[in-house]
Amino acid sequence: MIELNHVSKSYNKGKIKAVDDLTLTIRSGEIFGFLGPNGAGKTTTIKMIVGLLRPDAGTITVDGLDTQKDALKCKAITTYVPDYPAVYERLTGLEYLNFIGDVYGVPKAERLDRIGKWLEIFELGQAVTNPIQSYSHGMKQKIVMTAALLPAPRVMVLDEPLVGLDPRAAHSLKELMREHCDQGKTLFFSTHIMEVAEKLCDRIGIINKGRLIACGTMDELKQLDKSDQSLEAIFLELTEK
Amino acid sequence: MKRFLTLVRAGLKSNFGLSVLRHRLFKEKKDRWLVPLVGVAFLGVLPSVYGLILLVQNIYLALKPLGQERALLTLGIMGGQLFILLFGLYYVISAFYFSRDLEFLIPLPLKPFEVIASKFAVIMANEYLTVMAIVLPVLIGYGVLARGGLSYWTNGVLVYLFLPVIPLAAVSILVVLMMRFVNLSRKKDALILAGSVLLIAVGMSLQFLLGRSGRGGLAGGAMTSFFTSPNSLLNRVGARFPPSIWATKAIAGGFSASGLLNLALFAGTSLLLFAAILLLSEKLFYRGLVGLGEVSGRRRLLSRAQMSQRISSGRNPVRAIFAREWRIMNRTPIFLLNGTLIIVIVPVLFVLMARAGSGRGDAGAILKIMTSANPLFVILAAAAFMIVCGSLNGTSSSTFSREGSQFWISQVIPVSPREQVAAKFLHSYLLALLGTVTASAVAVWLLHLKAAHVAAAAGLSLVAGVLLTSVGMMIDLARPLLDWTNPQKAIKQNLNVLLAMCADIGILTGLFFVIRFLVKAGFSGTTVLVSLFVVLTALAGLSCAALVKFAEKRYREIEA
Repeated sequence: MIELNHVSKSYNKGKIKAVDDLTLTIRSGEIFGFLGPNGAGKTTTIKMIVGLLRPDAGTITVDGLDTQKDALKCKAITTYVPDYPAVYERLTGLEYLNFIGDVYGVPKAERLDRIGKWLEIFELGQAVTNPIQSYSHGMKQKIVMTAALLPAPRVMVLDEPLVGLDPRAAHSLKELMREHCDQGKTLFFSTHIMEVAEKLCDRIGIINKGRLIACGTMDELKQLDKSDQSLEAIFLELTEK
Repeated sequence: MKRFLTLVRAGLKSNFGLSVLRHRLFKEKKDRWLVPLVGVAFLGVLPSVYGLILLVQNIYLALKPLGQERALLTLGIMGGQLFILLFGLYYVISAFYFSRDLEFLIPLPLKPFEVIASKFAVIMANEYLTVMAIVLPVLIGYGVLARGGLSYWTNGVLVYLFLPVIPLAAVSILVVLMMRFVNLSRKKDALILAGSVLLIAVGMSLQFLLGRSGRGGLAGGAMTSFFTSPNSLLNRVGARFPPSIWATKAIAGGFSASGLLNLALFAGTSLLLFAAILLLSEKLFYRGLVGLGEVSGRRRLLSRAQMSQRISSGRNPVRAIFAREWRIMNRTPIFLLNGTLIIVIVPVLFVLMARAGSGRGDAGAILKIMTSANPLFVILAAAAFMIVCGSLNGTSSSTFSREGSQFWISQVIPVSPREQVAAKFLHSYLLALLGTVTASAVAVWLLHLKAAHVAAAAGLSLVAGVLLTSVGMMIDLARPLLDWTNPQKAIKQNLNVLLAMCADIGILTGLFFVIRFLVKAGFSGTTVLVSLFVVLTALAGLSCAALVKFAEKRYREIEA
């Protein structure tokens, strides 16, 4: 479970308010989709959840642990996939996965099983001994995703995870997201693809200019203007205001 | 032409980071402390400029009675052009074939020659700044001493403007041909590494040769024969590289027929070579680019048994981070050169410089003390030698900067800052240890120092290494440079590396005064050494504790 309680974050000495008094709860076993126009505050929110940015105000907890006070414990149960796969280009894929396994303390037998499984799903088996430098954008995205899955985390936070993936990999990823949450774990992800959010998410939050303007299941969102519109139409209407 | 100028303007802004700097200074109002710091650094350079002007004056006054003072101009111009020729190789390969902006430039409706010409112009701007330190003191010093008139200064400015063209065009032609006909793209790392080692070797040889030629003092007979003898190094190189002779005659000849003719020869050759590179690039540039950016990798599926062999087990974050640091450092050519390789090269270079220079300068002074009779001074000088070799490099002071855009990984993994800096410290310290061992080997085999003296010096150097490594890491942690795209910026153009070196020199100078005080107060050699060891150990312990505390604070603060 992730809880954000009156969280705010600004840049340029308070001139630009990226996230403004955000309160939000993502329950265990839930896929939560986070939508918003460019610059709305999605990535800032995500970076605060995983500890890359410090909130100016408010608190964030992951499975009841405060991300500021119990930072290491939070990190041990959370993994993160950034919007751009900046990884150690000079390491091979396998060296990177070993690095992640070592720092999260994944036992060898589990490491072997999980790496084998995800490499096969993402079709990376033949490239894993090559330097990451030689990978395409999509392959880098896949190796970061494999690394995020390796510790079998209780909470996964993904920033636009489908960008750059081929249709087969995107399909596999959506299946594994469902599988992850069916085990009672939490998944928070941002996306610009409305169809994916509509079909995959248990609940959806829409952020605009740093403020949460809508949050709920697809049905609840449709209730907002009492029409049976698509998520795209609802999104356009809400973010136009 | 407008398109070309736009390209050049964009290239210059990106090269010098002007837009980013303006944004940080005036919009975000960050890094304003850099402005006074740059001012202080500029003031710090002034004594060196003054020293250079004095050197120019000495050589001029020594050559004037022989009527050979023009050789000074040749030396300055040739020095500048040779410098560009040697270091231009790396710049040209990087800018023409491996810069990231090519991905945006190639799809644009631009002709190959426009891309090359704009990149050439940006490298020229860099070179004007780089060779300034070599050429300007000579041009200005000579002009003032010879009371050069309008013709001298006009031709001087023109020669300076054309100065980088010939060597850069020569290197560019070589590179464009090489890239078209030899498939080097997949061996970029090896190419850069081999080129850089070659440059260091050439630099060392030149240093050695010049040092030998310069024996006997600057104003002595050997120096004048270095300039005037028909077989001297200067004339031999000058004869093989006539543009520097033309440039000399153009400046010294002023508006006379000889002056103008030589100026026309110098400018004409420059323009001709520039035209040649444009013509060549129009035909060959894009064809040489095909397949670039690809890094070879054999595709091989591992069996479960093979995979099992390659997979580690358990939780050992310090070992994992150490291995990451080690691998990235040694697999990135520019890091390898400035970290691991330089540690092996510096001790040898140091002895060569000191021996060739027959005892002049700091290197010579340390060497002289090392071979003196007083055991205390021998040990202290040997320790200073080992510290310079082991700890005065950019490994510790770029350890966080080197992570660059991947620093987010260090911030999200469940590893405490204490463990992360422990791993990084071990990596940097291992290199300091390697430097101490190499320097010890040089001290024993080349300088024939006693093993006991070397051991004592190594002990001091290793304790000092802990202190200097911690200080270097703290400096980098205070302001890590994480937004680079070219790894060169993380280590070679990183202000933190310079600041750490200044701090290290400051610490060593402080210790020097403490030792001097103890020696003057009449304490025995053993007491001085033991006191120094105790002080260094205490400082090392304190610095390590401070590093851990600072890391815990900074890892929370840094917003990647």
